[in-house]
Amino acid sequence: MMRDTSLTGLAESLVAYGTRRGADQVEVAIRAGSNFSASIREGELETLVEAGFRELEVKLIVDQKVATEASSDLSEATLKRLIDNGIGRARLSGADPFAGLPEKEPVKVRAEALDIFDEAVVDMSPESKIAAARRVEAICLGDKRIRRSMGAGFGTTIETLYLANSNGFSDAFRQTACSNGVYLQVGEPDNLISEGKYDYSRNLEGLRSPEDIAAEAIDRSTRLIGARKVPTQNVPVVLEPEMSAELLQFLASCVDGRGVYRKQSFLADRIGERVAGANVNVWDDGLMPGAPGAKPFDREGVPLRKTAVIEKGVLKSFLLDSYSARKLGMKPTGNGAGPNNLYLASGKDSPADIIGSVDEGLLLTGSIGFGAVPTTGDISRGAFGIWIEGGELAYPVAGITIGANLGTLLQQVEMIGDDLDHRRYVNGPTIKVAEMTIGGT
Amino acid sequence: MRADRRDFLKKTGSAVAAASTASLWPDLLLAEEVPTTAEALFETRFGVSRGDMGRLLSLALGKGGEFAELFFEYKIANGVTMEEDIVKESSERVSLGVGIRVLKGEQTGYGYTSDLTFEGMSQAARTAAAIASEGGRVEIAPLRLRANALQVYDLERPFAESSLSSRMILLRQTYDAAQAYHPKIEKVRVSLRDEIQYVLVANSEGLLASDTRPQVRLIASVTAADGGNRSTGLSTAGGRVGSAFFSSARTPKELGREAAEEAIVLLGAVSPRPGDQTVVLDSGQSGVMIHEAVGHPLEADSNRKKRSVFWDKLNQTVANPLVTIYDDPTIAHFRGSHNMDDEGTLPRKTMLIEKGKLVGYLQDRLSAKLMKMSPSGHGRRDGFENVPLPRMANTNLARGESDPEQIVRSVKRGFFAKTYQGGMVQPSGKFTFSVNMGYLIEDGKLTAPVKNATLIGSILDVLPEVTMVGNDMGTFLGTCGKGGQSAPVTAGTPTLKINSMTVGGRS
Repeated sequence: MMRDTSLTGLAESLVAYGTRRGADQVEVAIRAGSNFSASIREGELETLVEAGFRELEVKLIVDQKVATEASSDLSEATLKRLIDNGIGRARLSGADPFAGLPEKEPVKVRAEALDIFDEAVVDMSPESKIAAARRVEAICLGDKRIRRSMGAGFGTTIETLYLANSNGFSDAFRQTACSNGVYLQVGEPDNLISEGKYDYSRNLEGLRSPEDIAAEAIDRSTRLIGARKVPTQNVPVVLEPEMSAELLQFLASCVDGRGVYRKQSFLADRIGERVAGANVNVWDDGLMPGAPGAKPFDREGVPLRKTAVIEKGVLKSFLLDSYSARKLGMKPTGNGAGPNNLYLASGKDSPADIIGSVDEGLLLTGSIGFGAVPTTGDISRGAFGIWIEGGELAYPVAGITIGANLGTLLQQVEMIGDDLDHRRYVNGPTIKVAEMTIGGT
Repeated sequence: MRADRRDFLKKTGSAVAAASTASLWPDLLLAEEVPTTAEALFETRFGVSRGDMGRLLSLALGKGGEFAELFFEYKIANGVTMEEDIVKESSERVSLGVGIRVLKGEQTGYGYTSDLTFEGMSQAARTAAAIASEGGRVEIAPLRLRANALQVYDLERPFAESSLSSRMILLRQTYDAAQAYHPKIEKVRVSLRDEIQYVLVANSEGLLASDTRPQVRLIASVTAADGGNRSTGLSTAGGRVGSAFFSSARTPKELGREAAEEAIVLLGAVSPRPGDQTVVLDSGQSGVMIHEAVGHPLEADSNRKKRSVFWDKLNQTVANPLVTIYDDPTIAHFRGSHNMDDEGTLPRKTMLIEKGKLVGYLQDRLSAKLMKMSPSGHGRRDGFENVPLPRMANTNLARGESDPEQIVRSVKRGFFAKTYQGGMVQPSGKFTFSVNMGYLIEDGKLTAPVKNATLIGSILDVLPEVTMVGNDMGTFLGTCGKGGQSAPVTAGTPTLKINSMTVGGRS
């Protein structure tokens, strides 16, 4: 797919139009591309969706007053009307001394060096995408312990982001992503468990094979068959990579500059302080080739970089877009769209050794709910997992809750696994934390 | 008649300059062409005629599909936010497009586009058509406009026509009320979001139907601080209402004070006592539990596919006989209401559980056909990019006879859940919801406020445990997520006593 020069032209001409109509600063972003998804259930193709999309966003600043506009209707009349409307509305807003586009910084790393576009994703035929999802499901259904397939799915996205602003920035890059996976149901009719596995990759070669995905989906679900409740107690907890990633996702919302300047984070005002154990190092590396969130620049045109968020337990940086950076007297970090590739740095322990170190505790494999409050760091969620006794996996548990505080947990990371990978925007290896409260019988 | 697209653009283009000075808020409905129906809008503004629709439906069925449908959407969404004492930002978002669906047995083909030229739409129709590869040619019935039976929105003075300055007054009143509530209020953020959505559905059975839906929501988020201790309170109000709503039904001052009060109470809150215990759900927002625990598992798709715990329990007793639950998309002005669903079906109040017995499912067209039941008007979608799914609208547990105070008095030691961040359910029936604020119950009285608790359970275990139902009623306003799609909903319940439920938290 070639870069669509007419959309670069459109972005630049709208910047010029906005300026002409009286805006001091204008930013125009256009996303254009195509989506594909196929879902399979019980061997049959259930839903096939294919479409092209275009979406445009404009930010207008007049006398330090801001308005934004967005449209999927890219007709010239609509876009000009929206810009005129936006300038009018901006004038009625309050003047905000912190409003403004980011300062222009050179984009040094090109998209080509980041390995985020794969021609093979573009060329893959719908038939082979459908076949890949069908294969995952067929393997799973071949296992007698699987009661039902909730559906397998293969999806691809091909997209180009065009960005132009009145500070002279105009650039574009294209990216691809693909995914394959399945959700399964196991257990007895009145005690069903749903689990599964989805894998994501920027390129087709990096996507795990249907056999691998199926094997993991089968394991993740069948190991929970016959899950029961345990009594209420405080125990050490081992978090599998998907669960430590979830914890890191919560950390990401606590170091998000927008929440920080609003004082809606327990980590606000704590830069330079020891907020975690000395073994904890958290990075956001938006320039790691092939990572799902890697890009040359963010939604505002700020180049991505590698940012130390927590280094040896000390809080070093928030994740900042240009506005929250200005509010906090800091520099933007290229996180206009949140974490790019946030991760807890790998440790030296094998997952088996970590589980082996627990006398009695929980291996956390899944959680549900919304219970995580950045203001306090409190966590309270429904949980699934495997009970650990004498360093061995003993039996599956469900119907329990976990309760903890992120601030405390960060100080009590006792072991860090060597199994980190970068398959999502936020990643973590297996970890062991000293204590969580289990709510049960 | 088919309007010429290019001429039309020229006309609108020249009108823009004049309109922008006259009106500062959405002037999409330029005076010279205010359409009364979505059909008129798509015809005059985008040049899509009935003839085009017929041709697209034929194209969509060209490969042997059994049913084809066009879903046109034009939506203007506005947002204004006040923070740090100023209106920080206002936004406007236009969504325009068509989604084309073809059904063949249990299979769905779907294509969508924002390009409403005939060529652009034809491409989407061909994509959808490809789900089928053989089969007889289905006749396209001539399109006949069907009027909606009800008008459940307040379109008297729609928000879309009110000025930015009048919106700013609402924000200011809410903001000031929250800020003035207590000296420990540290930050206030108030947002007003409103939209107007034009929907037009045409299908191969000859149905042509349209709807024009307003939606408004005012949200206050308040942070209180006491030394290093911080807490956040939230309140929200709105619905498919007009400008009159905030001067009659719910005032901005009440909304601001409520969020502030919650934040202040939470400053002194303790952690919950984890473990199984008796739980009383307050009538205000506890509908979120009905939504998660009963509503989702009774959506037809998960029953048709046998993945809901309820799929084989129709006509069986699944709850205490005190429990009656229904979904009603026709409640006037409610956030989850609609005149027609996103497949053009006229909605009806649907009984789900009647005196403890499971009696119905929430149906869309596809599931209803496959289950040989009738559609209930619950086929909804996030927008033109999405296939319709059976979804809730306004789900309620019917009022009972107990005095709410007596319900609390009957509990020796337990937990009282008052406000929520949200809930989630697995098809297997395991649900969780996050309580932002609650109280301990000791000797029949509410004592210490509690923050950040989680309630979990399994539907089949919890429904029989509902042992008292209050004679009051409250409504939770929410946005429901399913399969990556959002839908505005409400969920209502009286005060409820649940004999035993698992409470989670930190100790």
